[in-house]
Amino acid sequence: MNRFWWWVVEPVSRLLEQDEQEAVLGDVVESCQNGPGALLDVLDVVIRRQARLWMGWRPWLILFGLTLPLGMLLSILSRQTSDGSAVYLWMYASNWDAALTQNPGFWHLFAETAVSVFISYLTLACLSWTGGFVLGSLSRAMSALNSILLCLILFFGEIVGAPSYSAFLHRRLFADLHVPDSNAAVFAVSFYRVVLPVIVQILLVAIPALWGYQIAMGMGKLRRVVSAGIWATAIATLAVVCIPEVGLWFFMAMHIFHISAPVGIWAGIRALQYLRPLEFWPIVFLIAHAITQRGMRRARA
Amino acid sequence: MRSTKHHNVVLIMLGEFEYLILSAAVRLQENAYGAAIRQEIETASKRRCSIGALYTTLDRLENKGLIKTAMGDPTPQRGGRPKRMVRVTGKGVQAASEFYATVTRVSRGVSWAVPGRNEL
Repeated sequence: MNRFWWWVVEPVSRLLEQDEQEAVLGDVVESCQNGPGALLDVLDVVIRRQARLWMGWRPWLILFGLTLPLGMLLSILSRQTSDGSAVYLWMYASNWDAALTQNPGFWHLFAETAVSVFISYLTLACLSWTGGFVLGSLSRAMSALNSILLCLILFFGEIVGAPSYSAFLHRRLFADLHVPDSNAAVFAVSFYRVVLPVIVQILLVAIPALWGYQIAMGMGKLRRVVSAGIWATAIATLAVVCIPEVGLWFFMAMHIFHISAPVGIWAGIRALQYLRPLEFWPIVFLIAHAITQRGMRRARA
Repeated sequence: MRSTKHHNVVLIMLGEFEYLILSAAVRLQENAYGAAIRQEIETASKRRCSIGALYTTLDRLENKGLIKTAMGDPTPQRGGRPKRMVRVTGKGVQAASEFYATVTRVSRGVSWAVPGRNEL
């Protein structure tokens, strides 16, 4: 088998669990298969394994209970973040004047805006990482297939889901409530309407989510307390993001169906803002993880 | 899992492919692992043995407690990759011997001579 076929076969074999991947690749090498034969052999094992896994209820529950809603939620948040930052980017890019740089007030406002955009981007990346981490730690047996499914959902979320959702909100806010769209000029530019959301989706959602997924998959068995702590933090983070979205649904239900939200729900949702720092837990986790790994490498050396 | 109670002993009914794997593994003894079992089955049955079918059947046999598998040491001829070593358990030997006895019993007095064209 030449290098090209090896380059094809090896990534396919990653859909298998690590021990099995090693054994199957070893068998393929030992039986001196040609490239296509080796690929067919590995695909044969992969398809049978995946088919067996998907015969159970667990993968379907993870797909419909977590991967799909998570992918859609991240796509919507990504669209909101990119639209929010697009307004500032457009404002500076379209109104840039060298004379402004002489004005100290300009720099003050610029710094404030840059920090706010940076924090919104960092928040999105941390949430995506958390989502990928939770998914990865739930579905080790299904390994790479779930990450492919997540990428597909993010792709369709970006192309279909998020635009439909923002169009719906747009209609509610600007058409039905007769409020003028003050940002129409920004989104008339195709870069802010089409290109920026895709860049944000790839760089701040897909890549961090796959990174979180990879870290969760690579983690060995942790002590029960550590594992429970990580889980509680990850779930709380997702809840902090999801619950205000529930508030949005109540808000819409009130306007569309005239249903009142339960008393006290708004106060509860407002109180969640104190938990928002939780969203940045992946930074603390990754630093701790890097220190632990370094310590382990040193101990081995 | 198909099983029948016979004289207070639970007998596990094997499939043909399961029997082929158990026989190959017993014949290979210490050298029973994926690629070797596949080679053995292909030589004996003169049919292609799919690696996917082999690995899924190994799992099934292990779940039934008829074999035990363990990862062996990496070897250079396998590109430094380990083998999945297979050992047939006592229960596996009993199931295979029962399968063989059943096939022998059921075949007694049966002639498999292919009838001529005029006899059909």
